[in-house]
Amino acid sequence: MKTDPIITHNDRILITGASGYIGPRVVEKMLEYGFSKLRCFVRPSSDITKLEVIVDKNRDLDIQIIKGNLLKPEDCRRAMDGVDVVYHLAAGTGDKSYPDAFLNSVVTTKNLLESLKSNRDLKRFVSISSFSVYSSMKIRSGALLDETCSLESEPQLRYEAYCYGKLKQDELVMEYSKSSGLPYVIMRPGVVYGPGRSTLTGRVGTATFGLYLHLGGSNRIPLTYIDNCADAIAIAGFTAGVEGQIFNIVDDDLPTARELLRLYKKNVKSFFSVYVPHPISYLFCILWENYSNWSYGQLPPTFNRRRWGAYWKGNRYSNEKLKNLLEWKQKVPTDIGLRRYFEFCRETGGTK
Amino acid sequence: MIKVGIVGCGKVADDHVALIRTIPDCEIVAVCDREELMAKQLCERFKISTHFNDVKSLLDQAQPDVVHVTTPPKSHFEVAKVCLQSNSHVFVEKPFTVNAGEAEELIELARQNNLKMTVNHDQQFTTPARAMRELIAKGYLGGPPVHVESYFGYDLGGASYAKALLGDRNHWVRQLPGKLLQNIISHGISKISEFLETDSPNVIAHGFVSPLLRSIEEYDIIDELRVIISDSERFTAYFTFSSHIRPTLHLLRVYGSKNAIEIDHDKQTLITIRGSSYKSFLEKIIPSCTYAGQYSSNLVNNVLRFVRRDLHPKSGSKYLIESLYKSITHDTPLPIPYKEIRLTMKIMDEIFSQIYRTE
Repeated sequence: MKTDPIITHNDRILITGASGYIGPRVVEKMLEYGFSKLRCFVRPSSDITKLEVIVDKNRDLDIQIIKGNLLKPEDCRRAMDGVDVVYHLAAGTGDKSYPDAFLNSVVTTKNLLESLKSNRDLKRFVSISSFSVYSSMKIRSGALLDETCSLESEPQLRYEAYCYGKLKQDELVMEYSKSSGLPYVIMRPGVVYGPGRSTLTGRVGTATFGLYLHLGGSNRIPLTYIDNCADAIAIAGFTAGVEGQIFNIVDDDLPTARELLRLYKKNVKSFFSVYVPHPISYLFCILWENYSNWSYGQLPPTFNRRRWGAYWKGNRYSNEKLKNLLEWKQKVPTDIGLRRYFEFCRETGGTK
Repeated sequence: MIKVGIVGCGKVADDHVALIRTIPDCEIVAVCDREELMAKQLCERFKISTHFNDVKSLLDQAQPDVVHVTTPPKSHFEVAKVCLQSNSHVFVEKPFTVNAGEAEELIELARQNNLKMTVNHDQQFTTPARAMRELIAKGYLGGPPVHVESYFGYDLGGASYAKALLGDRNHWVRQLPGKLLQNIISHGISKISEFLETDSPNVIAHGFVSPLLRSIEEYDIIDELRVIISDSERFTAYFTFSSHIRPTLHLLRVYGSKNAIEIDHDKQTLITIRGSSYKSFLEKIIPSCTYAGQYSSNLVNNVLRFVRRDLHPKSGSKYLIESLYKSITHDTPLPIPYKEIRLTMKIMDEIFSQIYRTE
């Protein structure tokens, strides 16, 4: 590490969404890095089995699990009390509902940030965003998509509530930085994969119509193995000199959609798929989008140009900034990560 | 031009805004939510100019002709009341209110102020539901309905709000007198209320917790309901709500003294059921042919409706909203008579008092 961390091992660290997919791994990473006072914030309905195992293994450390709802300001204040660093992983997927995604990503973040106003000692607020906030509309196929690329300007047209929620969450965090001096870092993971998740990313294709349509072709898939992603997030919380920075999280050695699909079929289960060349999938998205608009949403705009641009146009990705500023290194190589992921998929049956 | 306001900017409001924007001669002038960010996001996505975080400001400053109340059910009464007091017509999301007393008070207030008000029982205004009503009016049943079966299924596993409800002991749905049922069954009950003549039907309700919920140690939420409703000796109805039965039915069967009609809200089909039998073995052949013909006809109709962009999942709501607006501008009768709203609430009150009776 080039400089000393911004916090000591005895500083209090809050992790929201600690029982989610990435949350327990972030908790483990923080323990690996020697931090001993962790507060894990979870929803009342969350399954906290994984966290309880971690607590049991580390009985000598001060690990709290507190239940609450980030929509309640009093719960936020309780969570934030005496905290030095916040890892804000809690979010709502919202499925297809924009208000739900907004409520569970933006309003919750606002409540948390409001309760932070009285905490002048906060040293870092790590906000977890997503790769989905980027727009590929203005960059050509195969071009580099990194932290400097433009964001989705009209997320309501993408028909992806999660993207909208995350964009607005990012905006809110930046606004608070301007108005209240919030020391933030925004992390944008690519496709997080690993044990615990058995779906094949939609960037490879879709099974919406019964038949699996392979749309990705030779596109690189911006994968990040869950442990590598959690590691990047953990480091972002204590590395000095990165306030106000945004980091994309992707691993090295990214497979193409075609390679990933082949490996999935070989290692998990075999199924029939049809490759749809990019011009045809693009044309299909245009037609679907136009019909959806013309019919006032009789068919929802599930397939549209913006979504095509984000997921199937095909770009290159970089983790240079992550390596240069955070000194992040991919600890789990992609081949091992994929092997573990496929093992899990095999055990659970896998989902296209 | 009708000026429309929206109070409550959650998930349901999206549907209302999207539908209102397809209706000519109306404009959404402002939206309101206690959480200002929620109001702001709705404005931003639908390019609506003004938002507020309290109802009175919306009413005073935007002066809407009609307000859509899309808040959680517990606040329907208070929000609708203040809108009526400010001389705005009201469209309330279902369930209309939390109990019949509140419903009565709102209806009285609307009458006193000469304002129009309705509730979003959209399934009663789908194309098959309207066709059914026409057939009944033409006497297809052989007189008034004698018996109705109303099925309303619900998939607890698939609904995001149900997941939240089951996981959160403080979820607002749990605070309602009828809990989960309160938020859902008015659709199925109102289809029965439509045919009731009495103001005080007999109600016998039996509710229980499904094996699915019991398996996850949820004993507070009744999600299986069977009800018998009768109007003296003239009319009877069975209402079935289930989260367990598959398929998840949204079905209505109306029997008359001569024939019957069945509508399936999910499949958007209407089937007429002939009351008399064919002779001998013909009964085993001809009805199947006529049903095949009717289903084929439904298929063609639905394809044509799809092509004409008239198979929208929310087409019933759109028709209902348009009917309310027409009622406001042309002083035509309300799409849902107040008697029907009142009866629906009364029946629901009675059901909840029976199934959640404390010893």
